[in-house]
Amino acid sequence: MGILSVVIFSPLIAAIALLFLPKEKTSWIRGVGVAGTAVSCIASVFAFLAFDPGTTQMTSLSIQLTEKLVWIPTFNIHYYLGVDGLSLPLVILTTFLCLLAAIYSCGIELRVKEFFFWYLILEVGMVGVFCALDLFLFYMFWEITLVPMYFLIGVWGGPKKEYAAIKFFLFTLFGSVFMLLGILAVYFASEPNSFDMIELMRYSGTWSREFQIIVFLGFYLGFAIKVPAFPFHTWLPLAHVEAPTPVSVILAAVLLKMGTYGLLRVSYGILPLGFEWFLPAFVLIAFINIVYGALCAMAQTDMKKMVAYSSINHMGYCMLGIAAVSATGFNGAMLQMINHGIITGALFMFVGVIYDRAHTRDIGAFGGLGAKLPVYAALMSLACFASLGLPGLSGFVSEFLCFLGAFKAWKLYTILSVSGLLVTAAFFLRMLQKVFLGPFNEKWAGLRDMNARELISVVPLCVLMVLFGVWPSFLIDIMNPTMTVFAGMFPGLFQGLR
Amino acid sequence: MLEQVHWIPLIPLLASLAILFGGKEGPHSKMPLLGVAAMGWCLLQSSWILFHALTGRYALPYYHTIPWFSYGDYVMTLGVLIDGPAVVMLFVVTLVSFLVQLYSLGYMHGDPRLKRYYAFLSFFTAAMLGLVVSSNLFVFFACWELVGVSSYLLIGFWFEKPGPAYASKKAFITTKLGDLGFFIGLMILYTQAGTLDLSMLAERAKLGIEYLPLEVATAVGICFLIGAAGKSAQVPLFIWLPDAMEGPTPVSALIHAATMVAAGIYLVARTYFIYDAAPLAMGAVAWVGLFTALLAATMAVVAYDIKRVLAFSTISQLGYMMLGLGVYGYTAGLFHLTTHAFFKALLFLGAGSVIHAVHTNDMREMGGLSKRMPATFLTMAIGTLAISGFPFLSGWYSKEAILHAVYLHNPMMWLVALGTAGLTTFYMFRLVYLTFLGQSRDHHRWDHAHESPPVMTVPLWTLAALSIGSGFLLEHEGLFAKLVSFESGHGGGHEAAHAPVWLGAAAVAVFAAGLAAAHRLYGRGDLSLAKSLRERFALAADALEARYYFDDFFLWLVSLSDRLAAAMHWFDDQIVDAIFVDGWALVTRAVAEAHRFFDDFVVDGAVDGVGAVTRDGGGVLHRLVRGQVQEYLMYVALAMCLFTIILTTR
Repeated sequence: MGILSVVIFSPLIAAIALLFLPKEKTSWIRGVGVAGTAVSCIASVFAFLAFDPGTTQMTSLSIQLTEKLVWIPTFNIHYYLGVDGLSLPLVILTTFLCLLAAIYSCGIELRVKEFFFWYLILEVGMVGVFCALDLFLFYMFWEITLVPMYFLIGVWGGPKKEYAAIKFFLFTLFGSVFMLLGILAVYFASEPNSFDMIELMRYSGTWSREFQIIVFLGFYLGFAIKVPAFPFHTWLPLAHVEAPTPVSVILAAVLLKMGTYGLLRVSYGILPLGFEWFLPAFVLIAFINIVYGALCAMAQTDMKKMVAYSSINHMGYCMLGIAAVSATGFNGAMLQMINHGIITGALFMFVGVIYDRAHTRDIGAFGGLGAKLPVYAALMSLACFASLGLPGLSGFVSEFLCFLGAFKAWKLYTILSVSGLLVTAAFFLRMLQKVFLGPFNEKWAGLRDMNARELISVVPLCVLMVLFGVWPSFLIDIMNPTMTVFAGMFPGLFQGLR
Repeated sequence: MLEQVHWIPLIPLLASLAILFGGKEGPHSKMPLLGVAAMGWCLLQSSWILFHALTGRYALPYYHTIPWFSYGDYVMTLGVLIDGPAVVMLFVVTLVSFLVQLYSLGYMHGDPRLKRYYAFLSFFTAAMLGLVVSSNLFVFFACWELVGVSSYLLIGFWFEKPGPAYASKKAFITTKLGDLGFFIGLMILYTQAGTLDLSMLAERAKLGIEYLPLEVATAVGICFLIGAAGKSAQVPLFIWLPDAMEGPTPVSALIHAATMVAAGIYLVARTYFIYDAAPLAMGAVAWVGLFTALLAATMAVVAYDIKRVLAFSTISQLGYMMLGLGVYGYTAGLFHLTTHAFFKALLFLGAGSVIHAVHTNDMREMGGLSKRMPATFLTMAIGTLAISGFPFLSGWYSKEAILHAVYLHNPMMWLVALGTAGLTTFYMFRLVYLTFLGQSRDHHRWDHAHESPPVMTVPLWTLAALSIGSGFLLEHEGLFAKLVSFESGHGGGHEAAHAPVWLGAAAVAVFAAGLAAAHRLYGRGDLSLAKSLRERFALAADALEARYYFDDFFLWLVSLSDRLAAAMHWFDDQIVDAIFVDGWALVTRAVAEAHRFFDDFVVDGAVDGVGAVTRDGGGVLHRLVRGQVQEYLMYVALAMCLFTIILTTR
């Protein structure tokens, strides 16, 4: 068994182990849950150490740490795993955030056993999506994430949890049905029939443009809903707001990345002609995500909803980078995926911290907390500044690269999208002013600063924000060779952009 | 020493981190001394470099880079590019920072967050010095944003008060608006030229390679000007600077007078080869500078808050520098930047000394303070003479140089600039009269006023000496011009040409007129004439006090964007969401119908459960909550079955 299987299935083993624990032993359950995610995280670090990023001069993608077993020979389905510079950073992001959010989850008191069970299953699905190189396997993992998420929101969520959960479920299911059709289409169009994603990339030259466009649209629905791209984003604010804190963290930090990952790996990699056809609409959607998402965020009075809408805005930067179809843009989009995971994950935790204490997330209900909760104020301000793209923090370089890449291809949209940066700054600073600055609101005299559990789960993220901001090479060196090769994979296409 | 120049920004950065994370917070924290020591070292090193550069012992420019990160095949570098202007800026920034940190030991004495204050101050200096030395416009932009955030933190240092909390946000957002221009300019420049390395760009410009078509150079120039207008408080983005005075006064002296606000000027100077190639952009620089200089000077005339007068004065003088650069007076503009840093820092620190003594900013409650605080009065008077262009003081040299360049470029502009100089004299002497001379207007405050401790007056005297002497020293034998000059590739450099002799006389005459007017209105102890003038020209005065309604315009923009945001949110909630929700409802309804069909004919009558509920709940989605998730899971299972059937039947 290879290292990637360990990464994927150690949470599953932990989940099964949980079933044998009595539900009263909550500390045991928490221990096993955290341990499962920790093993997965450590294994992914080993995977990272074994990984060789390659050079920008490579002629093809270098898929590494592959594991390939025949699974259902009749249909040529394989248990096929592997990573490259596109997926490995996302795998590490997933396992790392799952570990931190698991630590954060130790504050959950309600039905602990079931919570950790579903949580661990969720991690299996997410890691699997990023590792799978067989479309059938990919689809299976993709669907696996759905059910745990439904229960995690529906049972442990806020006042409107059932509505939010079903809405999330229906939206994503709707998308994945079309994705399934797309998978079938490419399977039957390949000769011999294959689900092998790497193999399928080579077919793109033989498929007609019309075929690729239709199949592209099927996949696009699946991915766009996950990203979420306008107009399929309305499940997100609700799901985020209703979900319990650790689940919001995972939702924002990892689950959304499945969409952008799919766009790059499948939509672009397997169906370049369809992608090329859709690109003008895609960049428009990216622009809408950026500006519209930022404006909607500015209109919010609920902190969590504001952060949720800011996710729509930030995923817009990813899409803009992808629309550039260049090494610069792809690198920017990838960096942005990771950085958004780190930053927004942290922001959701911060919102959770204040909600746990004050039982409100209303921005206007606070005031002057900076004097009372200095640690919390400092760390949350750091995360907000990272999110609005302050240099020295991780969001800056990724946003810059997304814009820089996109500008070459789409001048007008990129210039218009720049206004999103201003709006982002505006709503974050307004929130900081209302919550932390000004005269202290005596109503909150009893609030306590962050405790150890919260600090352990959020400080690593803050450290990474600074680390990747000051020295982006740590991150970008892993992905740059893959991204460069990836962007130049179809030399005959995307001529208008170059 | 030059090879170690990267330590000049790094040492304050390390000091800042050490102060932030080390030691104990409190009014008696010893950590501030670390900041002062770090700045002392940087000052020594910069002085050494300046001395060696002036005496020609260093071959400038010095250029050194290391790779930072790479994307595609492009390597982004971190590095230093030290040319004449950078050497001068290094000296100015480290000197003023050092003096301000020293002064703050007295001014901020007893503040419960002293450690934090010094950490922020050191961080600002680090970012500013990074901006000065950086060899790459991307890094320049990064530092540019970082000085912005330090300004945000320091303006809002006393964040419990609503004023600073609001002002800090306003400053950040307004400058950010300008930064968007800078950002777009960077994208255009990179896309066209393929690099953001200043040294490479300048090299190409020098070789005359057509690396930038005219219209692209113009666009880049205008975009950078927008950025510079934000940072350097030019019209129309100047609105944040008067409010920034809510911060501690030493901060105003350092950031909002001497150093950070000069960053925009420095940006234009650093990318001067672009403006040189784009006459239209150059013209825009000149006109923006001229308007700013004039408008801000008129606003200063009616202000009563001592710090705001100085803030308007700063805006006006920054406009002067812009104007100088815009009329091809490269050396003159940067010369004024240098001398202005000294006398404006002096004036602000002097104002701080006054505020420290009387605990008010309102000049109407002052008067006669020269008797209580002679050192502050004398140094302030020197600063006032310097900024007003009193002959042979530093401001006279640099202002003369600018006026000279403006006259050669366009005599009409010169006339306006000259008038502005007269206004400058007027409002500065107004400040001196109202604050220091005449009779005290608030005896309680006057009685409690006292001279500041030496830790505050020593910086004042140092800056006073520089305000007197720096002009002469630098003008002497063309030292400054030797270090800071630009060889235009397209002619237009007027600096060598000669202007009529009476130019200088006109400037002195205007100085005398401004002084006389100030004396007439404010020098006699009663303000009745000023009051009656205020009433006679009420409309104009209202406009000036409202800052020409620029603030109202921006507030209107803010409320507009708020309304837009609210509308978008409504649209999102009520329209987009509804389309999908109702769309789903329709789908579900159809499925429910299918269920019924299936059930009626196949399962026969077992319809009453799920299907009916779903069917009846067709209108809105939240009815769907009652639909069972198992049902949807069944769809997945069905799809998988279908899938298998398709596969096996092939």
